[in-house]
Amino acid sequence: MSDVPILETRGLGRRFGSLDAVSDVSFSVPAGQILGVIGPNGAGKSTFINLVTGHIKPSSGKVLIDGKDMTGQQPWTIARAGVARTFQIVKPFNGMTVRENIAVGILYEPRGTNRMAAALSAADEVLHEVGLDGSGDRMPGELSTADVRRLEFAKALASRPRLLLLDEVMAGLRPNEIGPSLDLIRSLKARGTTVIVVEHVMKAIVAVSDRVLVLAQGKVLMEGEPRAVLADPKVIEVYLGHRYAKRQKGNE
Amino acid sequence: MPTKASFSIASKSSRTLVASVFGVIALAMALALRSQLPGGELRAVSTIFMFIALSQAWNIIGGFTGYASFGQVVFFGMGGYFAAVVMLKYHFSFWLALPLSGCFAALFAILIGQPLLKLKGHYFAIATLGVAEGMREVVINIADLTGGGAGISVPIAGKFAKTEYLGDGGFYLLFLALAIFSLVIGTVVSRNKFGYGLRAIHQNEDAAAAVGINTVRSKVMAYALSAFMTGIVGASYVFQQVTIFPERLFDVEITVLMIMMVVIGGSGTVIGPLLGALSLQFVSEYLREHFTNVHTFILAGIIILAVILIPQGAVNYLREGIRTKDFSLLTNIRRYRL
Repeated sequence: MSDVPILETRGLGRRFGSLDAVSDVSFSVPAGQILGVIGPNGAGKSTFINLVTGHIKPSSGKVLIDGKDMTGQQPWTIARAGVARTFQIVKPFNGMTVRENIAVGILYEPRGTNRMAAALSAADEVLHEVGLDGSGDRMPGELSTADVRRLEFAKALASRPRLLLLDEVMAGLRPNEIGPSLDLIRSLKARGTTVIVVEHVMKAIVAVSDRVLVLAQGKVLMEGEPRAVLADPKVIEVYLGHRYAKRQKGNE
Repeated sequence: MPTKASFSIASKSSRTLVASVFGVIALAMALALRSQLPGGELRAVSTIFMFIALSQAWNIIGGFTGYASFGQVVFFGMGGYFAAVVMLKYHFSFWLALPLSGCFAALFAILIGQPLLKLKGHYFAIATLGVAEGMREVVINIADLTGGGAGISVPIAGKFAKTEYLGDGGFYLLFLALAIFSLVIGTVVSRNKFGYGLRAIHQNEDAAAAVGINTVRSKVMAYALSAFMTGIVGASYVFQQVTIFPERLFDVEITVLMIMMVVIGGSGTVIGPLLGALSLQFVSEYLREHFTNVHTFILAGIIILAVILIPQGAVNYLREGIRTKDFSLLTNIRRYRL
């Protein structure tokens, strides 16, 4: 494996009017790692994913994929470079069956098939991976909330990405449903996929991440090994307020 | 589950078989009718074929892609005028003018599509309507080329007439061929990668871009294809009518009819616009004959009822009904309540 990180950002920033939604975010992910990204509401996590995948153009800084400058590229160009994502607010193709939802991603993957019939049968494998076997002929509108999240996950997996950005795929899942999702992320890592997991469920982050990045008010607050980061007073402070952090310190 | 997948693929190919059998029977009937019908009725049936082709064309951009083009008639008019001008001034044969007129319309679609397809929903609809209305005025004002408001005539006799007038029977075959061509294009698009990309764009443009679909290029290509299909119909219509006027060739009513046929039949399907075109033309002809004074009034009533009761169109309503085993119109209204 080369030393070039699969994803690197340099001073990445985006301004919305007078608000710096993301500012000066610099970090890199080596290929094959799982990076957890946490931060309180409004920290800029989703904006960060949108910047990396081209859905929002940055106001400053650079995005490098495999060392190549992809700043300001269109979402489909970035997708074809092997980067897939999910959306926090799920975006299924509502007029297609679940199987067709996946097949579209397979068709438009550069190395994939151009034939719909082949894409449809390949879609079943992906459905099996996320635990949606047997739902292939249903419409997204008929699925449960948890299954719609699985579909969102499966749509991203359809293109067999090398870098996968997951925006809160576990939100709204019951605790017993989180386990399978974590297993899936681990199996992706085993396959060599780099995964960036944006999540509110701390237990999930600790369980799968090799490294954790904490965003607060659009900036990188800290970065490091999961348990150490979560125990850090600065992180506790941005999540729970400084008075709680102080009390924690007093108790020690 | 591989068994399920192969089952659904098998059912698709058996559906194709049924569709082709019906297609061959319909084609045989259409050809047989040609020698049976008197001239007036031949022209009426030709008009039905024309609207089958037009509604399929509109369905590509409005149905599959979800961009409701309210100015689609601009491609009809431009294709028609292009054919008239090159046949009259440059003595082109009709058979050369026909594909060129489609390309001319497609080129124009690529040009205006770049900015217009950035707009969504009502904004796109109004902008395209504006283009069509504006183009009519342009055609009226460049009278040197187009004949202006006084109209233009295609040469059908004499030494400058490269193609002999086709006559009722000939135009019947021409429009039948256009209808078949449009149905074939519609069927191919509905099943191939490009068509699935268009549907994905329709259903969620951000998600479509995220799976690698070049949404800008796909939309412009869909618009150009739709314009090509509309342009060649316009050129054929011009040849059939011989003398044409901007008011008729850029008549917004033609756009409205295309949209009505697609919406009532079921947009985003191939069979829907076909059924829509057939039923709307037949019903309107029937009403014209039997209720001469109030026929538009009754037709409007039927259209309003259809749109209220089955807003997704007949074909989509039937499909959902079969899938959910619930054909209740009340459930349907609730599901699609605006």
